[in-house]
Amino acid sequence: MALRSDQSQERMHGREGSPWTGLWAVVAKEMADHLTGMRMRILEILIVLTAIGTVYAATQNLRETVGQDPFILLRLFTTAREPLPAFVGFLGFLVPLIAIALAFDSVNGEFSRRTMSRVLAQPIYRDALLLGKFLAGIFTLALVLATIWLLIMGAGMIGLGVPPSGEEVARSLWFLLATIFYGGIWLAVAMLFSIIFRQPATAALASIAAWLFFTVFWGILAGVLAPILQPVRYGFPEEIIAQAQTELTLTRLSPNTLYTEVMIALLQPTVRSVGLVLPIQLHGAVLGTPLPLSQSVLLVWPQLTGLIAATILLFALGYVLFQRQEIRA
Amino acid sequence: MKHITKYTIAIIVILTMLAAVPQLALAQTGTEEEKPAFEVGELALTTTFPNQTVEMGENVSIDLKLRTSTEPQTVQLAVNDLPEGWEASFRGGAKVISAAYVEPGTDTNITLRLEPSDTVKAGTYRFLVTAKSSRATATLPLEITVQEKLPPSLTLTVDLPTLRGKPNTTFRYNATLKNEGDENLAVNLVADAPPGFIVTFKMTGQEVTSVPLDANQSKSLSIEARAYPDLAAGSYPITVRAEGGEASATLNLTAEVTGESDLTVTAPDGRLSGTAYAGSETPLKVIIRNNGSAPARAITLSSSEPAGWSVDFVPKEIDEIPAGQQAEVTAKIRPSDKALAGDYMVTVRAQPTDGTTKSADFRITVLTSTLWGVVGVVLIAVAVGVVAVAVLRFGRR
Repeated sequence: MALRSDQSQERMHGREGSPWTGLWAVVAKEMADHLTGMRMRILEILIVLTAIGTVYAATQNLRETVGQDPFILLRLFTTAREPLPAFVGFLGFLVPLIAIALAFDSVNGEFSRRTMSRVLAQPIYRDALLLGKFLAGIFTLALVLATIWLLIMGAGMIGLGVPPSGEEVARSLWFLLATIFYGGIWLAVAMLFSIIFRQPATAALASIAAWLFFTVFWGILAGVLAPILQPVRYGFPEEIIAQAQTELTLTRLSPNTLYTEVMIALLQPTVRSVGLVLPIQLHGAVLGTPLPLSQSVLLVWPQLTGLIAATILLFALGYVLFQRQEIRA
Repeated sequence: MKHITKYTIAIIVILTMLAAVPQLALAQTGTEEEKPAFEVGELALTTTFPNQTVEMGENVSIDLKLRTSTEPQTVQLAVNDLPEGWEASFRGGAKVISAAYVEPGTDTNITLRLEPSDTVKAGTYRFLVTAKSSRATATLPLEITVQEKLPPSLTLTVDLPTLRGKPNTTFRYNATLKNEGDENLAVNLVADAPPGFIVTFKMTGQEVTSVPLDANQSKSLSIEARAYPDLAAGSYPITVRAEGGEASATLNLTAEVTGESDLTVTAPDGRLSGTAYAGSETPLKVIIRNNGSAPARAITLSSSEPAGWSVDFVPKEIDEIPAGQQAEVTAKIRPSDKALAGDYMVTVRAQPTDGTTKSADFRITVLTSTLWGVVGVVLIAVAVGVVAVAVLRFGRR
């Protein structure tokens, strides 16, 4: 809306026509590239195998252990069976991997193939090119994840013989949305690095380094930083709580933490809090009762909006950098 | 010589005296024989109990004695003036006799047997027994009073005819049932109680409806009346009848039922749940119903809620709820600011001054405010705005 209304500002920068021009052409072309690419096929096979394996294991486990559960299909996602982790555990690192694979050479690949100036010679704005590439990545990711979602729900219905309830479907769809935006962050990060670095390998390495940092090291770092920022001097309970709160806040800077919290709240309806819970808050509570979906969503709303906003902001950063780049060089 | 004379005189006196003693004794013996214990003369007819009372239909046997002091003689026996319907016969030595032989010094025992027929009515009957020999005649008037039999009669008595209790108590009356007649009876027990009572009879712990009762026997009986719990307060008469043959006895009992209030805590639609937002006050309608039979007075409302919550009742106290009525109270529930979303239990109690406290658990679903949700949306809007600004600022051909 703002884009269209301020015609005068656009004229000031000498732009003619809409920045959306050619967007969908870019999206279509990019998606075609992604979906026919060998790289994507490998990743798809990997994730489908993972899904089948974990869901089969989960089905076996649920059949043996669970008698009655109103959210039994949701437990397909979260039930682990040794030696396999739960499906969501795999998603936690497979989704960033797919996202990075989709985007690490999106911009600098065009440069190295010397196709960037050719593309921009068409009546397509840079805005449309970048947004189109990003949207194509998101859509591809969404397509893959939606396929897996359908696969899991179908396998669950066959394996467990239970039709999904409306709430289960709604919860798993919210979870799907969160997963897509979790992938969106890494997509934006990879795209950012592909704008910054001219070598695709460097961009890929930087993306994977960032991913590793947040997946493995950030949790350790938060544990080290929290006592420095919020030291426990006298051992009061308040100090200990404050330190734990600080550590939690620090770990929440990592998209992995945000995604894990969203996943727990959405897929386990009995979870009432993803943060610190004092015993006094549970006094008189009827434990083990599921929260309504709206309350579960509200519980992780900051995390969810955080994921979405981070995706958009990272894209905005990449956009600004891309717009300032010299193309003809 | 003088001495000898003296001794001689003494000896003579002693001898004289010694000679006189047997004569004295003889004289005394002679007097007894002349005067025996009773002088009957020629002939006497006696009996020990000339007046007797017998029950109707009963045969009478009267022992008679014949005696003579003079000569042995044969005595003819007869009953003169035999009232109508009576038969008389004399028996002696297990035989029916009409005459007896009497010797002096020996009593002759005869039994007079009087047999009334069925037509003989109650009353006094006189008989004159005549003994007649060749030398003398003796008569003996007898009087037999015929009494009607005691009619069969029952009495039923109770120590405490009026008992007082709550509707759920058992009214237990300890009664005594007595057969005052002469017949053995099978007594049926019947109770006539107002609706709302169940009356049972117990004897030595067993429930009975019919009691065999021998003549003049008495048995203790426990009459138990159980009221229905929702019986209104009041005084209820219970009539107990014992019927055996033609006899019957009635006993009037009273059960005074005092009322009792019985409160129930519930919600208008019976759904004991509600929702409330963390940190904000939510009204919850609570119904206090009195299902008892007496009004509940001065009902105080209280609650136990999770820590950090507040529950206020409006009104805090109800003056009175009549029996069968209900009152509505608003509980203002304010969950703690830091309450987590989810279900919590809040117990609401109603305590009347004169009854037991009743409570109900309300399940309160705490919802968290959507304020932070709006903040999240604003955050996304800001991010989109940043993109828009970037597009406007850096957008170029």
